[in-house]
Amino acid sequence: MITRQFGSEVRWMLRRPRTIIGLFGLVLVPIIISFGIWTAGDGGGGPGLAAILQGNGMVVPIFTLFLSLNLLLPLVASIWAADGLAGEAQHGTLRGLLVAPVSRVRLLFVKLFGLTAMSLFAVTLMAVVGIIAGTAFLGTNGMMTLSGTTLSTGQGLLRIALFVVLVTFQMVSIGAVALAVSSTTEHPLVVQAATMTTIIVFQVLGQFQSLDWLHPFLITTGFPGLIDVMRDPIPLGQIWDSTLLAGCYLLIGTGLAAMRLITKDS
Amino acid sequence: MNKRKVTLAVATAGVLTGAAGLSLLAMPAGAGQPPSLPDVSAESLVEQVMTAKPGAFGGTVEVDNKLGLPSIAEIPQLADGKHSARIWTDGNGKLRLALPNGQSEQTIVDDGKTTWSWNSQDNEVTKSEHKDSPKESNGEKAIDPATAAKEIVTKTKEFSDITVDGTARVANRAAYELVLSPKPTEKTLIREVRIAVDAELKMPLRVAVLTNGAAEPAGTVGFTQINVGPQDAKLFEFTPPANAKVTTPEAKEAQAREKLPEAGLEAALQGEDPQIFGTGWDSVIGARIPADAMTQVPAEAQGLVDRFTKKVSGSWGSGKLFTTKVATILIADDGRVVAGAVPEQVLFDTIGQVK
Amino acid sequence: MTTSTSAPVTAPAKQAVAARTRGLRKEYGSTVAVDRVDLELPEGAVLGMLGPNGSGKTTTIRMLLGLVRPTQGEIELLGRPLPDGAEQALPHVGALVEGPGFHPFLSGRENLIRCAAFEPLLEKRKIKQAVEDALERVGLAQAAHRRYRGYSLGMKQRLGLAAALLVPRKLVVLDEPTNGLDPAGTREIRRIIADLHDRGTTVLVSSHLLSEVEATCTHVAVLHRGTVVAQGELTELLQAGGSALQVVTPDVETALGALRQAKISARPLGEGLRVELAGTSAPQVIETLVKAGVGVHEATRWKTGLEELFARLTEAEEAERGMSAVDTLDGGPR
Repeated sequence: MITRQFGSEVRWMLRRPRTIIGLFGLVLVPIIISFGIWTAGDGGGGPGLAAILQGNGMVVPIFTLFLSLNLLLPLVASIWAADGLAGEAQHGTLRGLLVAPVSRVRLLFVKLFGLTAMSLFAVTLMAVVGIIAGTAFLGTNGMMTLSGTTLSTGQGLLRIALFVVLVTFQMVSIGAVALAVSSTTEHPLVVQAATMTTIIVFQVLGQFQSLDWLHPFLITTGFPGLIDVMRDPIPLGQIWDSTLLAGCYLLIGTGLAAMRLITKDS
Repeated sequence: MNKRKVTLAVATAGVLTGAAGLSLLAMPAGAGQPPSLPDVSAESLVEQVMTAKPGAFGGTVEVDNKLGLPSIAEIPQLADGKHSARIWTDGNGKLRLALPNGQSEQTIVDDGKTTWSWNSQDNEVTKSEHKDSPKESNGEKAIDPATAAKEIVTKTKEFSDITVDGTARVANRAAYELVLSPKPTEKTLIREVRIAVDAELKMPLRVAVLTNGAAEPAGTVGFTQINVGPQDAKLFEFTPPANAKVTTPEAKEAQAREKLPEAGLEAALQGEDPQIFGTGWDSVIGARIPADAMTQVPAEAQGLVDRFTKKVSGSWGSGKLFTTKVATILIADDGRVVAGAVPEQVLFDTIGQVK
Repeated sequence: MTTSTSAPVTAPAKQAVAARTRGLRKEYGSTVAVDRVDLELPEGAVLGMLGPNGSGKTTTIRMLLGLVRPTQGEIELLGRPLPDGAEQALPHVGALVEGPGFHPFLSGRENLIRCAAFEPLLEKRKIKQAVEDALERVGLAQAAHRRYRGYSLGMKQRLGLAAALLVPRKLVVLDEPTNGLDPAGTREIRRIIADLHDRGTTVLVSSHLLSEVEATCTHVAVLHRGTVVAQGELTELLQAGGSALQVVTPDVETALGALRQAKISARPLGEGLRVELAGTSAPQVIETLVKAGVGVHEATRWKTGLEELFARLTEAEEAERGMSAVDTLDGGPR
């Protein structure tokens, strides 16, 4: 029963026109980046990871996801979370699900599953397109890390897979918090606005040295540390911290959403 | 107890766990209970530290800098804050250092014959073959607490009261706290230097410098994680990436001299003729920057110097004074420079001796 | 005529009950939406829930479906207590609450397939057939491939009905099912309700349209200002509501005197008089009149219409507001 509901949820998300548009937009990112770096030629590059992109196409997926994690991926997660509960309430379909009946906890899990599956799909899609576009435009010879070592293609793919999982987890955690917001309203735009405002405000707060006591609480603080995937050997410290931080957000978001759903009048 | 209440309780517990987890993550890693170790005398501990043969290890070093240096946008690494580095050594001179800086990384590999220095930012490898007498680069080694601690102990042993002040847990290893306090006669800014010495390996794991009038260390260098034992041999090999530029240190240095504003001052202090005045904690290093170098300082560097120094004058002449928690630097207008871990008065008294 | 506070007309105790509420109360903040609602829905009945907009019909229905938690009171749905037993009871309940809710970007068929995926009683392999059957039943088979966005109000309502009928149900709850439907659509809904009734399905229809209730229901519950003011079998209620006899006679005075003597209340009306049939019967009245030598030209049984009943139940409060909330299509003399 639950697998059938999971399947229905994912099919429903994939059938939505804005999902398709969103995925199309996401896929453009690695293509534009590859193209841009290719056009810039040897003089190109840039700060941080961008500096090693030239001739190193396998890094494009990681660079793309790293960049998108700051704004684009949270936006997509918030849209999915917004449509998941607030959108269904708006269309009156949430009532239909509840009298079917789908228990409220089950409903939350269906929504979380949809969010996770679609996030994983979107991130993987970006990574795959990134590998193709990066290799096509910039060429590749294994994967050169930030530490100056060169990994074999297989190891490089493993790194990309690891990064995909890590980024997806961050995205799902943001989405879980957005789901909690989504359970309180019938207006999907409110959810998106609230989520994106929070992400942006967090990033701004992260810039202030005087607020450094606050930084460990902000999910955005964990984003930069994920780049450690591109170091060799991989230092796990920051990656663990970021993932645990996101895990706390996931727990809080899911818990709040559950509390709200259970007590909610529909 | 109905199902709804149970679910509600579970959900609430989830939220609380998440919140508790956040606070836990935000808390600085607790020092934990200090381990109980057999007593050891300060003398024998110092002896053991000096004679301990460094073994192979790999670990993460964190530099916590509260020196009170101004934050200069051009040189972010100097600003107060935490920086970490990863270090691997085979105990026989082979070394790998990874210095992350934001999204980029500098990697230094010493494979015993050649030192490779890679910077991801400019996709460039600097290759330096060891000469007959391999001279370690100071900058590279000072980051390792073990080396830093040995240097401090060597230089200040006889001018300090040395005690063992309890134990500590550093990078999850039991350690003795060796404390070097300058003898009362020493005119220095430094109150004490605490060195955590691994109880088993007698290897310094952490060095903390405490200054007069401050409870918190002005600077700490220590391992946050360490694994002792043979390291993967591959770590001490380096093959320049296919499309990286490979240069030599000589070429690189020439380039650097042109580029970096602080290079002139640095070169002068580390230059051919540094003069040391006094001994122990209050020793002062002095030098004279050639007049032409003084005038050649680019305008932007001059601006930098002006921004963070205060103008002083006295019987010795006039100049600029730069103060941090652990050190003071006096640059006279005629090119004389003195620096030391001392109050400014000591510098005023010493600068006259600079030749 | 009875009210819930005095002696409610209820189904005989031995009859099974599809749904029952006791002392139901729901507060939203400081406003009380529903209070002291004791509702009985006998198995197999078609219960019309009648009341002006805002009288608490929808809130009561939402509580019956476990969508809203009552502040106070008990609910039993198909033998299960709610909301805890919702998971066991609700699969057997089809509902159309507060208008149809579907995704505009999906076709009617895709929308139903999504609904079907969440129906516990529907096996996966039967989903396709169930969806086609439901579409056929509400007459949407031709438009099933079109996007819901482009549906007319009537089509949307039918799709909502189709979703309620995906699975054979024990109870079907329809909240204002004829909203936005043209007369043909309304007839269609009535046909479907009658069809469900024939198959033994219990139906709960809420409406503010008296004609709709009168035409389709076996039972009625009248809600007013958040509470049940009357409920029972439609025929009983109407009879108890006091039928009257319209007597056409030239001897109005004599007739009134005779009836007064027989302690039968009557008043002059038009060319004759109107006799209340409370505590008496039509033959008795005519016998009295004839014995008194009154010439009875014509005697017509005047049955209370639902409208009249409803008006009387809600009269006092509605006086100043008028009956705007209640649609008056027909009713009156029958």
